[in-house]
Amino acid sequence: MIRRLLRNGQPWLHVPLAVAAFLFLAPLLWMLVTAFKSPEDIIEGLGALQWLPRPVTTENFTGVLGKVEEFPVWRWTGNSVFISLAVTALVLTVDTLAAFAYARLRWSGRDRVFGVLLATMLVPGQVLLIPSYLLVRGLGWFDTYAALIVPAGAATFGVFLLRQFFVGIPYELEEAARIDGCGPLGILRHVVLPLSKPALAALGIFTFMGSWNAFEGPLIFTDSLLMRTLPIGITIFQGRYNIQYGPMMAAATLAAIPVTIAFLLFQRHIIKGISLTGLAGR
Amino acid sequence: MKENPLTPLPPSRGGNGVPATDSATGRREAALVPASGTPFPRREGGRGVRGPWNDNLTGWLFALPHLILFTVFLLVPVVYGFYISLHRWHILTKIQPFVGFANYQAALADDIFWLALRNTLYFVVLVVPLGNLVSLLLALGLANVKRFSTIYKVSYYLPVVISIAVVAVLWRWLYNTQVGLLNLYLKAAVDGLRGLGLPLAGFEPIPWLANPSWVMPSIALMSIWWGAGGNMVLYLAGLGAIPDDYYEAARIDGANGWQQFRAITWPLLRPTVLFCLVISVLGSFQIFGQSYVLFAPGSGPARSGLTLALYMYLQGFNQYEIGYGAAIAYLLFAIVLVLTAVQFRLFSKREDYTPR
Repeated sequence: MIRRLLRNGQPWLHVPLAVAAFLFLAPLLWMLVTAFKSPEDIIEGLGALQWLPRPVTTENFTGVLGKVEEFPVWRWTGNSVFISLAVTALVLTVDTLAAFAYARLRWSGRDRVFGVLLATMLVPGQVLLIPSYLLVRGLGWFDTYAALIVPAGAATFGVFLLRQFFVGIPYELEEAARIDGCGPLGILRHVVLPLSKPALAALGIFTFMGSWNAFEGPLIFTDSLLMRTLPIGITIFQGRYNIQYGPMMAAATLAAIPVTIAFLLFQRHIIKGISLTGLAGR
Repeated sequence: MKENPLTPLPPSRGGNGVPATDSATGRREAALVPASGTPFPRREGGRGVRGPWNDNLTGWLFALPHLILFTVFLLVPVVYGFYISLHRWHILTKIQPFVGFANYQAALADDIFWLALRNTLYFVVLVVPLGNLVSLLLALGLANVKRFSTIYKVSYYLPVVISIAVVAVLWRWLYNTQVGLLNLYLKAAVDGLRGLGLPLAGFEPIPWLANPSWVMPSIALMSIWWGAGGNMVLYLAGLGAIPDDYYEAARIDGANGWQQFRAITWPLLRPTVLFCLVISVLGSFQIFGQSYVLFAPGSGPARSGLTLALYMYLQGFNQYEIGYGAAIAYLLFAIVLVLTAVQFRLFSKREDYTPR
């Protein structure tokens, strides 16, 4: 049996894999079921390690969503959606144009500029926090959407990813398009983009998820309750509901649901995208 | 990160469909461009648009939107941050005197800085090897089953897409000493074994987040759960790139599973391992959200959850000492650079099995 360890189809491997799958899912399931439990049910269920809520109640959710003054959850959700979509659109746009320039156009200084982009790859995000904060204040963007959207366009990862992809597109296709009278924008639109859908999809999904879960930026660049995003909202919530686990888990569930659904819908692209890009999705 | 993307493609290739590998460099990038038997001789310079438009201007125009954002929000902050770190800079004061490297000296003389560095290193040492081991084992398992592999993959990857705020809030409850799920199950397991007659001591609840010596292992466990799926997919891609023929040949030679792993999988997976280790070290060194959400200001019992990034944040945004905070950030940067260089040294020995 061990002789064929690396052969396809090892039935016994399903045992450890399934156990591992359960261990990875269990905490999230616990969060979900707890969100539907009443306070008494939570305490009583613990001793018996009882998972299913009885009775199922939505009072945690209505409670969380009801305190609009204190916890504007809908507004936070709206902020998260708007910011993530805007960041994704911005990144896809500027990165596509830039990657096209680095991959398929010849211009003086191109390789030197690209070298500068590469050289910043190891810069930890935290090095940028303090200067960016001053910059955002200086621009008058503190506590605005702009502060959470525009700086995200500086990331270089998407440029590398798309450039790598664009470089692989056969030159002959471009030549044909040029003979048909296409300019660089035409070539980008009619030749490069249609062939780069997997890379664009991967970059789009990663950018969206990264922005949705962003923590340090929203923490530092905003301070009013209405400008917060869902992840920061959760910590505000925690400060207040500390050990009331029902409402806590309901809020956590609300924050986790959109991105979970997006993941389940696009999981094929995401997992392919990681292999494609070498990005672990964060 | 595999090849230097700056290397231009070989200037000309034969039109017979065989990619003429640049023998001087042997770059495999040449294979990225399929050589179709074009009747047009390739132009001097190979790739790149050369049209009636002005190429220089066009190139700059296309690159410009990103380049502006990159310059303003990445390049300038990197330099500006260093400038800030050389000044005594409090957010509320008008005058920021230049102090040279005084902030760095202060950090190196600051016990809490060293504590935060120790905590961070401890976290990295726990998370990087263990996390990568988990990811690799999951990938090895997945590579060898056909059915249900999507379900497994989705299960392992799901935590990755969830915000650290949600993860930490959830685990804070799982880790609760009295009513946390982990201790309840451990107690049930120990009680069950005692019921079977095993001479075990009664279960003492583990103070996951209450005892300083448990704090970092607990954060590490949570972080491995959160992040293992990401590297798993990378390992899976690395495994998928190893041709089946090699295993076939090894089996014919009578190699067992372990020998196959030693002789084929491990050496060929080396670049993937290096890549995963580098990004894990980079990522785990910047640990912030976990400690922030679990403990915040004081950062846990006896500051055992205080990390470098969190200390930088607290100095910069709670104490408003941004000069000092920036210096901490740059020290973190320096450590990360050194560690990355060391890893490249250790792991960059290349095995090339590509048939020539």
